[in-house]
Amino acid sequence: MFAPEFSYHRASSIAEAGRLLAEHPGAKVLAGGHSLIPILKLRLAAPAVVIDIGRIPEMKGIAAGNGTVTIGALTTHAELASSEIVRANARALAEAAAQIGDPAVRNRGTIGGNVAHADPASDLPQALVALGATFRLTSPEGARSVAAEDFFEGLMTTSLREDELLTSIELPAAGPGRGSAYAKLAHPASRYAVIGAAASVTVAGGKCTAASVVLGGLTSRPTRAPSVEASLVGQTPSEAVIAAAAKNAAGDLGDDLMGDIYASEEYRKAVAHVWVRRALAAAAARCAG
Amino acid sequence: MSTTLDPVQTQAAANGAAGNGVHPAPAYEPNMVLATRAYDVVGTRPVRHDGADKVTGRALYGADKQMAGLLQGFVLRSPHAHAKIVSIDTSKAEALDGVFAVVTADDLPPAKDKIVDVGEGDTRLAYVHGNVLAKGKTLYKGHAVAAVAATNVHVAEQAAKLIDVKYATLGSSMTAPEAMSSGAALLHDDLKTMEYGQPTDKASNVAQHFQWKIGDSDEGFAKADVVVERTFDTATVHQGYIEPHNATALWNNDGRVHIWTSTQGAFVVRDVTATILEIPVSQIKVTPMEIGGGFGGKIPVYLEPVAALLSKKTGRPVKLVMTRADVLEGTGPTPGSHVSVKIGAVNGGKITAMQGNLAYEAGAYPGSFVAPGGMCIFAAYACENVTVDCYDVVVNKPSSAAYRAPGATQAAFAAEQVIDEIAGKLGIDPIDFRLQNAAKEGSRRVDGPKFRRIGCVEVLEAMQRHPHYGAPLAGPNCGRGVAVGFWFNVGLESSCTLSVNSDGTVNLIEGSTDIGGTRTSIAMQAAEVLGIPAEDINPQVVDTDSVGYTSVTGGSRTTFATGWAAHDAAQKIVDEMKVRAAKLLEADAAGVTHEKGVYSAAGKSVSFREIAAQASRTGGPISASATVKPRGVGGSYAGNIVDVAVDPETGKVDILRFTAVQDVGKAVHPSYVEGQMQGGSAQGIGWALNEEYFMGADGGMQNNTLLDYRMPTALDLPMIDTCIVEVANPGHPYGVRGVGEANIVPPPAAIANAIQNAVGRRLQRLPMNPPAVWQAVANGN
Repeated sequence: MFAPEFSYHRASSIAEAGRLLAEHPGAKVLAGGHSLIPILKLRLAAPAVVIDIGRIPEMKGIAAGNGTVTIGALTTHAELASSEIVRANARALAEAAAQIGDPAVRNRGTIGGNVAHADPASDLPQALVALGATFRLTSPEGARSVAAEDFFEGLMTTSLREDELLTSIELPAAGPGRGSAYAKLAHPASRYAVIGAAASVTVAGGKCTAASVVLGGLTSRPTRAPSVEASLVGQTPSEAVIAAAAKNAAGDLGDDLMGDIYASEEYRKAVAHVWVRRALAAAAARCAG
Repeated sequence: MSTTLDPVQTQAAANGAAGNGVHPAPAYEPNMVLATRAYDVVGTRPVRHDGADKVTGRALYGADKQMAGLLQGFVLRSPHAHAKIVSIDTSKAEALDGVFAVVTADDLPPAKDKIVDVGEGDTRLAYVHGNVLAKGKTLYKGHAVAAVAATNVHVAEQAAKLIDVKYATLGSSMTAPEAMSSGAALLHDDLKTMEYGQPTDKASNVAQHFQWKIGDSDEGFAKADVVVERTFDTATVHQGYIEPHNATALWNNDGRVHIWTSTQGAFVVRDVTATILEIPVSQIKVTPMEIGGGFGGKIPVYLEPVAALLSKKTGRPVKLVMTRADVLEGTGPTPGSHVSVKIGAVNGGKITAMQGNLAYEAGAYPGSFVAPGGMCIFAAYACENVTVDCYDVVVNKPSSAAYRAPGATQAAFAAEQVIDEIAGKLGIDPIDFRLQNAAKEGSRRVDGPKFRRIGCVEVLEAMQRHPHYGAPLAGPNCGRGVAVGFWFNVGLESSCTLSVNSDGTVNLIEGSTDIGGTRTSIAMQAAEVLGIPAEDINPQVVDTDSVGYTSVTGGSRTTFATGWAAHDAAQKIVDEMKVRAAKLLEADAAGVTHEKGVYSAAGKSVSFREIAAQASRTGGPISASATVKPRGVGGSYAGNIVDVAVDPETGKVDILRFTAVQDVGKAVHPSYVEGQMQGGSAQGIGWALNEEYFMGADGGMQNNTLLDYRMPTALDLPMIDTCIVEVANPGHPYGVRGVGEANIVPPPAAIANAIQNAVGRRLQRLPMNPPAVWQAVANGN
């Protein structure tokens, strides 16, 4: 299937992209194209204007400093997966990126495009929420920061305004005794997450002092699992403790579960704990301390 | 990669020699079985002749066809699974700027009441017509209703949306059991069940019910110590060729039609299109473009008559290319099935009775391949009491098409699981149990014929001896399964022409679409006779004006039959070369001998190359043609050994190790034989674990993209080890049986048996995807 016809503009700077967005209400932003192009080809959207931001230099690159990791919105999944900075500071994000689609998708798809699209079956959103990321949004009126947890509002909806561009994502740098991991059940065709579990765990003196567990793929937006987190904090993160804590995941998912022709709500709810357990176990094993 | 097992070869030699005399002699040398002889070319692995074109992307596929004035088309398809077409108004579409023509079923000549050969069987012309463009009713979502030709595909698509089709929707019948139930929505008012080959007055979705029987099953079951009966279902799946269907047609001013298309059978396209359009076959030339996969699904004609009609109306060439959704919703999937199997055996292991009941979903028009399913279901076993009932059932899904051993995989999924269960109950090793009951030369198949020399026993023995079968399993929730399967293979008709070039090379002209490396496997058979390297043959697949009639590339027949035609043409070349050699050697032609490309007489000799160089001086060009209609078809058995790990918490099945064994008669080019075995296994694994048409409440396919329709990729598959067994087919000059199909038959059953052995759950429905396996583990089945 061919995409419907549209007019195409390429922005060479964030400022130009902002101007183009203001000029063309309803325009779609093209970065790596791995969410937008399939949507166009499946005729789920037919924007009159597409604005290509894929070559804006200031939106590229990964940097660490002052306790923060800053990731340009145009960073590809492959770059995330192989970045030493990301692997050292946000292993769950590197693991999630490494499991997206196939090499072609990972070489073209970007972190910014992925999260702005907010596909519930995506991988990066839950990893970014679990890691406490902040999103930097820019418009001609100025810039603002939004916590990842507040950015994702629902099924393919975010707090990004029509005139705003997501330019970068910030993550807290790794702290002592903190480890993270990502585990997922992939859809066998698309490799989207049927269930994706991200976990970040901090261990001090043999006890878990903080835990962040976020599920995606089976809810309309990344969903935190507070009772899993609560049953870990203060405990020694042994295999048995983790398994018991993970079992609480189903209760945290509420009634907002999504099922589809491949995997029913019932199935997803019943097996979600397996992926939570695997993510937690891997995260805990990475907590040096 | 392959293990060739000496004892099998030895046995093949003994039996091959004994097999002479029963078969019609070919035109030249007596029909000798040479499979165990040492060859110079056959059995080697030369680089494929079309390799450079393929790896550089220069090979031309149907979608690559460009020419001056080319229009692009778009096919409008039914949004309903079952609906009466009340009216079609094309005026708005025709008025759109850039639109040249619109066609509907009314542009086709009315279908005469006659039977047509559609490549791998016969059907009513009205059904072929109806599937090409729906007349009066649409029978599945995706059914072609009208087509547009325009300046480009965007305009054509826009115009198609302007075609105003008024539908009155009808109730639908989506599965075989549903369509067979009383009160089911009927697809065809004039379809009356053929019962045991006799017409009846019963209006029904059951196009045919027939029964084959040998002995007395009831008596056999009464004798049995163990009887197992189970019912199995398989989902509709697609052949999954990557290249979508396409056709470009030019209806010239002189009335001649030229069609460029991706097809498994250019002559079938020619003949069926000629029949539909009511023009002589001689007025149509079909040029087969390179093909990006077919697996049986590129035998039916879909776009060619439509493109031709559009070209006739516009006076310009018209190209039609399907989208992926068109391919999945509008072209032949393989039938979903509902199969019951009952088998009885006595303590000690002899099978006393077998009974099968097969209902296959033909899709919109009769012809589900349930008959071959019924012939194959127990073909691996020699049993005196067998009854098989077959039901060909129309449902509101796309008209089914052949898919690699069509009908046999569904049947084996049922039979091979019951066989395993009985072996388990009797405490006999599953391969021992199969060996004890294996079909052999002289065993009778349920539909009548007695087997000639077959390799069922040799395949089972190769499985048993394979290091995989005795290897330890990896750990908890791991299991090993085995299964075997059978496919007949076919002969049909082939032609081949050889022309000797002055530099000692040979042009080989043939009409078999090359899907699996057959240019090379055919060229090798000519090279062997001529005593020259395979690289010195230049094989070309040509259009229907340029070669003698050649049937479809299907039924695993191309290397077997077109290779045989090449062999026979090469024999004629050798005879002519002897005459020429006699002139050059100044000897008597009768005294010239030929060995490995060297022609000798009276102590002197001259090479093939030298004779070729002197052809002009010794009588002119050297060329020969041969045609064959072989009867000596050799059926092929395939077997799998599969290890799986089942995750009981999630239901995910990982294949740890997979061994494919197949009796191929003679592996002409072992690399392509291994490729066929691996390809069939890969498709069988996909069918087993994931592939499925998810049909919605509206009767439409819910997963009509490759984002949602799951075929295995390299990431999902283990290394598929191959073990080639060569039990020579006494009916072929080199002992070839054909290798393309039997390999897809055992995988789903073997994987199901492995899952049973891993977690103690017998899966009775395909696909065995994680939710299904999880459910089986959680619920006890």
